[in-house]
Amino acid sequence: MTGSLDFENLVDLHYGGLYRFALSLTRDENAAADLTQQTFYIWAAKGHQLQDRTKAKSWLYTTLHREFLAGQRRQSRFPHHELTEVSSELPSIDPALIDHLDGKGLLSCLSEVDAIFRAPVALFYLEDHSYKDIAAILNVPLGTVKSRIARGIAQLQHLVTKTSLVPRKPKSQ
Amino acid sequence: MTSEEAKQILLLYRPNSAPDPEFAAALEQMRQDPALQQWFDGHCEAQAKLREKFAALPVPGNLKDAILAGRKIVRPGFWWQKPAWLAAAAMIAFLLAAGALWLRPGALERFNIYRARMVRAALHQYAMEIVTNDLRQVRQFVAKKGGPADYVIPQSLESMRVTGGGHIPWGNTAASMLCFDRGDKQMLFLFVIDRSAIKGEPGRHPKLTKISSLQTASWTEGSNTYILAGPDEPDFLRKYGVGR
Repeated sequence: MTGSLDFENLVDLHYGGLYRFALSLTRDENAAADLTQQTFYIWAAKGHQLQDRTKAKSWLYTTLHREFLAGQRRQSRFPHHELTEVSSELPSIDPALIDHLDGKGLLSCLSEVDAIFRAPVALFYLEDHSYKDIAAILNVPLGTVKSRIARGIAQLQHLVTKTSLVPRKPKSQ
Repeated sequence: MTSEEAKQILLLYRPNSAPDPEFAAALEQMRQDPALQQWFDGHCEAQAKLREKFAALPVPGNLKDAILAGRKIVRPGFWWQKPAWLAAAAMIAFLLAAGALWLRPGALERFNIYRARMVRAALHQYAMEIVTNDLRQVRQFVAKKGGPADYVIPQSLESMRVTGGGHIPWGNTAASMLCFDRGDKQMLFLFVIDRSAIKGEPGRHPKLTKISSLQTASWTEGSNTYILAGPDEPDFLRKYGVGR
């Protein structure tokens, strides 16, 4: 397989998932597309340094997340939360409420989830990454990533419920 | 294990993942606790629906093409798979042939990204912030928005009807966008940005690159870098007289 075909296959396999991950982080279609492109350009320049090609997917997600963080120029460090802190937030959501939600609504809810939980929750829902992979992508300990996902799920489900229960205005004729 | 403790564990359960001993005890408890079972069924259904919603988020149709178009030009890593001597020979030939611009492959990537972004704007998301047939008004408007106003419009475009324009933020600055109506329901877009805002800007001679369904010509003149984007047609450069 040529380098070009190899690259094309890699793009084919992952650009959709990477874009959705970027969109869930940025909520901006242009910024998400730029981040996705930038990630593949970095791969084109540095991907050959990755000796274990089976880790290309994790590498791409890690790189995208790093690029996002670099763009954010964050000054503060996020605190770690332990799973035991989640108990008061355990969610219970009526699955039927989710049917009312479209993509825009979902992104809107996700954007209201605390920034610290957003990336792990997006990875949890978007792709079949193991918890270990998500921890590696986000560069946080496994226990921390689990607690962030748990808390993020709780927040997201709370927001989805709140959004879905808001009475909708009838469409004017 | 209490019911609440089991819920905390099962919150992270994913039906299609590999068996995990962490969940075994909680799953066993769930099977013996009808209330917990009911919560778990609802939780799994909600999770599956949310996962479906995430997977259904639309991806721009031209994104893959834009990525691959950039790759075709940049391709900095293609030699890694070849034997070392071949890679070395290729690298020497590459260095001899490359100009100063090509000695900065990382910088080139930035222009590709900028160009892809402008093409996306033209294809999908552009909105004219000012609608006018007066070029002077467009120039004044983009100047106020931080885009370049000292641009030189290719002569062939001056005879076309400008329909408006706007600015597109790029980093700490902005690109000016001018929209022209060719008169056949086709639009042309001229994007102008200060050359210092873009790394790896093109040279004076226009460079043609097709991105998605649009043909682009890119060049740098004076203090600005230009991209003309329009329908992909033969003789694109000659037709619009760019780079003369």
